[in-house]
Amino acid sequence: MKIKWNSEKSLFLSRCLTIATLILGVVSLFCIPIITEWYDAISGALNGGKPIHVELNIALYLSAILGIIALWQLLKMLNRFAKHEVFVKENAVCLRLIAWCSFGVAAVWLALTFWRFTAFFVAFIAAFAGLLLRVMKNMLEAAIELREENDFTI
Amino acid sequence: MPIMVNLDVMMAKRKISAGELAERVDITPANLSILKNNKAKAVRFSTLEAICRELDCQPGDVLEYVKNE
Repeated sequence: MKIKWNSEKSLFLSRCLTIATLILGVVSLFCIPIITEWYDAISGALNGGKPIHVELNIALYLSAILGIIALWQLLKMLNRFAKHEVFVKENAVCLRLIAWCSFGVAAVWLALTFWRFTAFFVAFIAAFAGLLLRVMKNMLEAAIELREENDFTI
Repeated sequence: MPIMVNLDVMMAKRKISAGELAERVDITPANLSILKNNKAKAVRFSTLEAICRELDCQPGDVLEYVKNE
């Protein structure tokens, strides 16, 4: 049987994936100490460096919290899309918040660069994502303005 | 907005109701209300033409430029 793909199904899939990632994010909060221990074991064995248990714990907790906030905003946006509310100011606010969350993650991992240089790559990716989201927010704001102008042209 | 729409004045002069004007101009009463309350961002020439035709007036009679102090 062939499944007909449409925008509604695509939106449903996006919502399901966002909810799944959100759940994963919340669950990961409880697994962070295990992850750091595991990382320290591997990292210490590889380069014999000083363990960064506390620093990595803080970075991961902050990143997870910011990630959960971003995912929550994403879910709010997707719920509005389902109600056909796309070009509304609330969505621009959500995108701005998500962008700042990305910049926040970038700042956290940039600080971690003092202990592990590889953290710089995570910081770079997060900052790049934040930048892209900010540009998207600007674009959405311009679209909202155009739509308002169109709606109020009699 | 420095451009004011004085539709109320002309409508009162011509003794025409908002509903009747909306019907004659072929716009919705909601859109006429936006125009009357100076909430509109732009007016199409076709709408302005229809308003002037139905109210028997000039664009300057319904539109006014007010300087921002």
